[in-house]
Amino acid sequence: MARLWKNFANGLWNENPTFRIMIGLCPVLAVTTSAKNGVGMGLATTFVLICSSALISLLRKVIPDKVRIPAYIVVIATFVTIVDLFMNAYLPDLHQVLGLFIPLIVVNCIVLGRAEAFASKNSLISSILDGLGMGLGFTWALTVLGAVRELLGSGSLFGYQLAADGATTIGIMSLPPGAFITLGILMAFMNMIAARQKKRATKEVRP
Amino acid sequence: MVVVLSVIAMVSAAVLSLVYGKASVIIEENAARALESSVLEVLPGTSTVNIIRRSPDELGVDDPKEMREKEQRTTLIYQGVDDQGQIVGYAFVGEGNGYGGAVRVLVGVDENTDQILNVKILNHAETPGLGSRIEEEGFRSQFAGKTVQDPIAINQDIDIISGATISSRAVADAVRSGLQDAVAVYRGGE
Repeated sequence: MARLWKNFANGLWNENPTFRIMIGLCPVLAVTTSAKNGVGMGLATTFVLICSSALISLLRKVIPDKVRIPAYIVVIATFVTIVDLFMNAYLPDLHQVLGLFIPLIVVNCIVLGRAEAFASKNSLISSILDGLGMGLGFTWALTVLGAVRELLGSGSLFGYQLAADGATTIGIMSLPPGAFITLGILMAFMNMIAARQKKRATKEVRP
Repeated sequence: MVVVLSVIAMVSAAVLSLVYGKASVIIEENAARALESSVLEVLPGTSTVNIIRRSPDELGVDDPKEMREKEQRTTLIYQGVDDQGQIVGYAFVGEGNGYGGAVRVLVGVDENTDQILNVKILNHAETPGLGSRIEEEGFRSQFAGKTVQDPIAINQDIDIISGATISSRAVADAVRSGLQDAVAVYRGGE
């Protein structure tokens, strides 16, 4: 049980794909102009991660080693296309914003990375939990990033206008440089918290 | 090895064709509904929307290339009719080249005066915070009241958004070129 929890929680903090392993940064930088986009992209990726991890875990003994990468890509591409079509059909507004980045989930390193590093070696349940944890870790990272950029860049949060009319917003935060700046600052915070935790842990051990 | 990969690919293809069959119907409905509601926005008072298609022969064009172009334009005219069956006006889709790709606008024109009633930006890929401000009412409202006789050009009768010259020009181009065609097709076919 404890091991399963570890599989799940791993992606949330210790190996958070965005702030820790720093993979799949392309959509992170591109779509996080608002908090809503972050949530949408995160959940779409989470869905793909869970489904592909589950299926690859089930097929791990069937897929020959030599063709495993093409097989993974086909599985991942299938789920991504399903997400793309369903989002276009049922959430057309969100699809218009995320548009180009949904098909790009196929080549998102997180998805292939987890298939190769985790799902191909672990049981179904563990793989699903790993996919869920990684997906949610990705989602919260994108949401925080999107929220900060939306707040500073457009003065709103989840589409609700917070800043008064005519208040000066920092336009650059909505532009690509804003993504780099925000990501850098958030990473520094993450490192600071992690360093404090480590320090505390060593102190407790010593006496 | 080959068999496993082929089977995976085949299953994938089967699943996708199934999903596509279901989703594409809804996607098309969505697009049609979205465009119809946009037409209602640019032609106030409209309750039903007719799509006007005129065949290229009606326009008297012989050249195949020109005919193809006209054909595409003619399919893009929408006529708005109000509750009493009166024609409110007509709407068309115009396109201009912006900073981040094509900018598509929907323009509503008054039936009686041929003046622009309203302009709506359908889609664009302009820079958020700069070019994306073409969506704002303050910019779009400048086009209201214009006719084919007006220049509809930036720095002449359209003020640009500061920092977004290319995006502003894209909208003006889209409206101007579209208006000429639309009036020609709509009036010419009667």
